[in-house]
Amino acid sequence: MLALDLLLQGVVQGAIYALIALGLTLIYGLLRILHVAHAALFTLGGYIGVIVTNETGSLPLALIVAMVSVGLLGIVIYRLAYKPLLDQSPLVALIASIGLFIAFEEVFRLVFGSYGLSFENPPLRTQVNLGGGLLISHSKLLVIGMAIIMLSILAWLSTRTRTGIAWKATVTDSQIASSFGINIERVRYLNFFIGSALAAAAGVMVALLTNLVEPTMGAVASYKALAIIVLGGLGSVRGTLVAAIAIGIVESFGTVYVGHILDRDALAFAFLVIALMIRPQGLFKAG
Amino acid sequence: MLLSVSNVTVQFGGVTAVADLSLQVDRGELIGIIGPNGAGKTTLMRVISGLVRPTSGSILLNGQDVTGWTIDRRVRSGLALAQQIVKPLATFTLAENVALACGSRRMGSPWQAMTTVNRNAELQRGRELLELVGIAAAADDYPSAVPLGHLKCLELARALALEPELILLDEPLAGLNQAEAAQMADRIASLVTESRSIILIEHNLREVIRICPKLFVQDQGRYLDFGVTEKVMANPKVRTAYLGEGAI
Amino acid sequence: MAYEVILLTTMAITVLFALSLNVITGFCGQVSLGHAAFYGIGAYVGAMLTKGGWPLLMALLPAAGVAGLIGFFVGLMSLRVRHDFLAITTMGIAFLFVGFVRKQEWLGGEIGISGIPAFGFGRIGLLVVALACAGLFAAVTIYLKRSWMGFGFDSIADDEDTARILGIDVPRFKLWAFVIGTAGAGVAGALYAHHVRYIGPDSFGFVESVTVLAMVIIGGIGSVWAVALAAAVLSVLPLWFQFIDDYKLLIYGLLVFAVMRFSPNGIAGALQSFRRRLR
Ligand SMILES: Nc1ncnc2c1ncn2[C@@H]1O[C@H](COP(=O)(O)OP(=O)(O)OP(=O)(O)O)[C@@H](O)[C@H]1O
Ligand SMILES: [Mg+2]
Repeated sequence: MLALDLLLQGVVQGAIYALIALGLTLIYGLLRILHVAHAALFTLGGYIGVIVTNETGSLPLALIVAMVSVGLLGIVIYRLAYKPLLDQSPLVALIASIGLFIAFEEVFRLVFGSYGLSFENPPLRTQVNLGGGLLISHSKLLVIGMAIIMLSILAWLSTRTRTGIAWKATVTDSQIASSFGINIERVRYLNFFIGSALAAAAGVMVALLTNLVEPTMGAVASYKALAIIVLGGLGSVRGTLVAAIAIGIVESFGTVYVGHILDRDALAFAFLVIALMIRPQGLFKAG
Repeated sequence: MLLSVSNVTVQFGGVTAVADLSLQVDRGELIGIIGPNGAGKTTLMRVISGLVRPTSGSILLNGQDVTGWTIDRRVRSGLALAQQIVKPLATFTLAENVALACGSRRMGSPWQAMTTVNRNAELQRGRELLELVGIAAAADDYPSAVPLGHLKCLELARALALEPELILLDEPLAGLNQAEAAQMADRIASLVTESRSIILIEHNLREVIRICPKLFVQDQGRYLDFGVTEKVMANPKVRTAYLGEGAI
Repeated sequence: MAYEVILLTTMAITVLFALSLNVITGFCGQVSLGHAAFYGIGAYVGAMLTKGGWPLLMALLPAAGVAGLIGFFVGLMSLRVRHDFLAITTMGIAFLFVGFVRKQEWLGGEIGISGIPAFGFGRIGLLVVALACAGLFAAVTIYLKRSWMGFGFDSIADDEDTARILGIDVPRFKLWAFVIGTAGAGVAGALYAHHVRYIGPDSFGFVESVTVLAMVIIGGIGSVWAVALAAAVLSVLPLWFQFIDDYKLLIYGLLVFAVMRFSPNGIAGALQSFRRRLR
């Protein structure tokens, strides 16, 4: 029973990782930038989710507001921060992004205070019985559901719509894409919007699970999401998904069985390093 | 025997790029390798130089089995190559590009490199080699500032700088106009000495036939013919392979 | 006086730390997002030894040795993974180090090691040692950059496949860069441990790795002087901003961002274009 319980925990954690890392993968796939500040958008999503829910009492509304506004902020960040740096070495964008991330965390602390916020009436706390004594809260179910829904929408967007096909073409070869009349700049804006909105959704989900948002909640996301997209093969959506779930599960089992030697993060990274030594290009080829 | 390629096969997934090829090169030879697009010429060169590991077969350089060696080790023991796609070091001037190659047989290993500072001799030699290939005027330019023809010459100069016994050239004439190609071909022919051999992969049949005494022909990875140029060109199998391509 | 000594010691140690990463990332082009691990290894080795009665000056050698040895193994990994994959692998090593130390009773676990003995020749003595180490390392790396090894590093940083075709023994050059760089970080770490006299797993986290990388990039990749300058300034910036305590990290973050955004080649690049304009 313990094993099943751990597996479930791992999957929930993995679903959250997937939501955070997917946006990052989209952005990396297009621009080859390790966008650390993505984690700040995740935190902001969490804050907006809690504040709007507390004000209006509606979680769905809060989720939508968070995703849209953070998505727009993502576009602004691309326009002001990354666009001018695209023809520099990717390291420059990485460091700029880290600077931005530090600044954002401080802004959150100054604006929202350092102690964090909680839901006044924590939604979806009730437990469901999955049979055989396996309990799961509604909020956890929602997290898994969200991950599945978002992924399905993403898959549908990228294979069935004109925009999605334009996006894929741009990822494969932006020069060829633009000579076929695709507006690359628009694809990039859209990419940042979707990626950042996904981060916001992840922020709201984490707020639901922990009933707490604080300025530093993006710290773990900032590095672990990088690890996941790298493990997934950098730019591969399928790879990111598999890597996220795998790391979630490794963490939940590892903390129980080898937790006395290594902590949670170290476990995840031990897995990452070993996996990369075996497959230096990540689990899946980009695409 | 300077180079001896024995029964080499290279497979990429399902594609067999090189199928059971053998080739012997003596000192002082200039051998042309020809074959239609996709014949596996570049792959054969990449196997000889160590950029690709053969699926089976072996490569002997100066009687030593180098099949498992890395490319830089082969280069330090007498091999040089100029690739089909030019790859200059973008942050080095042309002279520095050549100078690095001049020093690398000695400085290729860290210890010697760490204890040597002076690189004037190599820079000087680099300029001489650039002069030899006809682009001395651009010696202090960066690769991004010079035309493709210059970069092709740079590849050749860098290959020479390694003081090799065997040079592999992959389509050095591609992208050059007729006059330039003829000039480059003459230059290549003049580089062959008693102690230095050249393998030339080239689509420009006219120049290959003009300068190469011997030809090696392959098609779809397989051996077609090897021998004296006139004889090879008279071989009906070679003609079909080429006319087939000509029809495209 | 005492305050200035502390400030200068902090600067000297940070400069050494940044210059050590400069060998790996600046010279050889191998991005490391986990350099703080080697700083940490040096700190722990140094602290354990002096607590066991060794004099600091003797403890510096094993600190460099252990850090360099582990750096050698990470260097071996760098032969297998490249670019962003390498950056994340090194980041993973740093997390492994911290995660491992956290769980080791004999290394102080979560609590860390306190009561690290003061340097026998006092604060000024430590400053002199730190300055000497930083100066020596700077001199060595300036020499390296001018030598054929630096020439080889340049070619690897530019394009390692081409470097190989030109006969450079890329794997061994990379290993040397990792060993020299991580050994330098080990010395810096041991000095740091005796400077602050308390270390714990949190002293060597992701933030520290990122900060030192930022110093190298803000200085201007590869340039010894500019990296030393950037490290010296950035190391004490938070202290100078004490008076606006609440905003100091905000300003720090924005500053890092602004330098990259408006002078992507760092201080060295900015100076160069300034000089060009003067002419
Ligand atoms: N790295 C690789 N992965 C997969 N297939 C490859 C690879 N390199 C070459 N091939 C395939 O092997 C075959 C031979 O290619 P190769 O480049 O050696 O031919 P070539 O004779 O040099 O052609 P060309 O005259 O056009 O330069 C081709 O079918 C090519 O698609
Ligand atoms: Mg070819």
